[in-house]
Amino acid sequence: MKKSSMPQYSRVKTCGVQKQGSDYRVVSGILEDELYAMECEICVHWPELTIKTVNAEMKRFTTERCLLAGKVFRDCEGWQIDSGLDGRIKKELGRNGCRHMAILIVDCLHSLVRAELARELQAALLVDAGLDRKEFLNNFLHRNPGLGNYLKIH
Amino acid sequence: MILDFQLHNLTVVEELETGLWRVTLRAEDNLFASTIILDIKAPALDIRAISLEIARDVFGMVPDLTEAEKKLVGVRVGPGMTKIVREIVGGSSGSDRVAELLLEAMEMLVNAITVPELRKATELGPSQPHGERNDTVTVLNDRVIGLEMIRRLASNPRLKDSCAAFKGLD
Repeated sequence: MKKSSMPQYSRVKTCGVQKQGSDYRVVSGILEDELYAMECEICVHWPELTIKTVNAEMKRFTTERCLLAGKVFRDCEGWQIDSGLDGRIKKELGRNGCRHMAILIVDCLHSLVRAELARELQAALLVDAGLDRKEFLNNFLHRNPGLGNYLKIH
Repeated sequence: MILDFQLHNLTVVEELETGLWRVTLRAEDNLFASTIILDIKAPALDIRAISLEIARDVFGMVPDLTEAEKKLVGVRVGPGMTKIVREIVGGSSGSDRVAELLLEAMEMLVNAITVPELRKATELGPSQPHGERNDTVTVLNDRVIGLEMIRRLASNPRLKDSCAAFKGLD
């Protein structure tokens, strides 16, 4: 067996998405590495694609001032999922709060939108197992042009 | 309610030999799975070897990235890397998803290199965090970096005003 070194650093991020009724999507996220541990839960009003509520908690951090970041995370309540959202989160929640939490929130929201695509594909495959996936994707993007721009799907 | 979509993302940094790091990033969700391996060498922190493996791509959105892989050799971890990586790997003829994962892997090397320094800074300060909840049974932060060290770190232009901890110190 090849000799290998021990990890010097590792980071795990995980996001889980659920549909709550027809109008809400909820995503929970966890980030943990040698320095940081944080969690968030985000509820999005789906037809309007707006962030309804955010609960973000910093659990392990590096400086005595890191908890000051907690004051800004809820600023994104009311923001809409569109092509400018990632930049806005990184700038306003990252630079004024914590960039690691901002990254987790971005990943959570991307997962929430990808979940929509996965959910619809799964339902469509039940009806037609041999469907053309490219055509399905094009139809999805035609119906949801904002989501294609948000995920940068060309 | 049962989850109907999950993303798992694991990045590991190891030092293969002095000044040569391997960053391995594994990303997996219901639609996409990828493993990215980068070998990065000091002092320039340039990419010496790279492997991009796409294990799942339900919509077939990721094109052949063999040429992009070759162009990434020599790209440095540091200022300007975001624009360079997005130009090489992203855009309509590439994959923005893979470009972002590559950038994440490169950024994790910076975190890895920073850990020993932050560990030293933490050991210098016996400070408890302000505003730590007192209802927590298990405290995760028995020590954090104190104000004096924060001010010293904030003198680095890369960190100054970069987040709540390094803002409003003047």
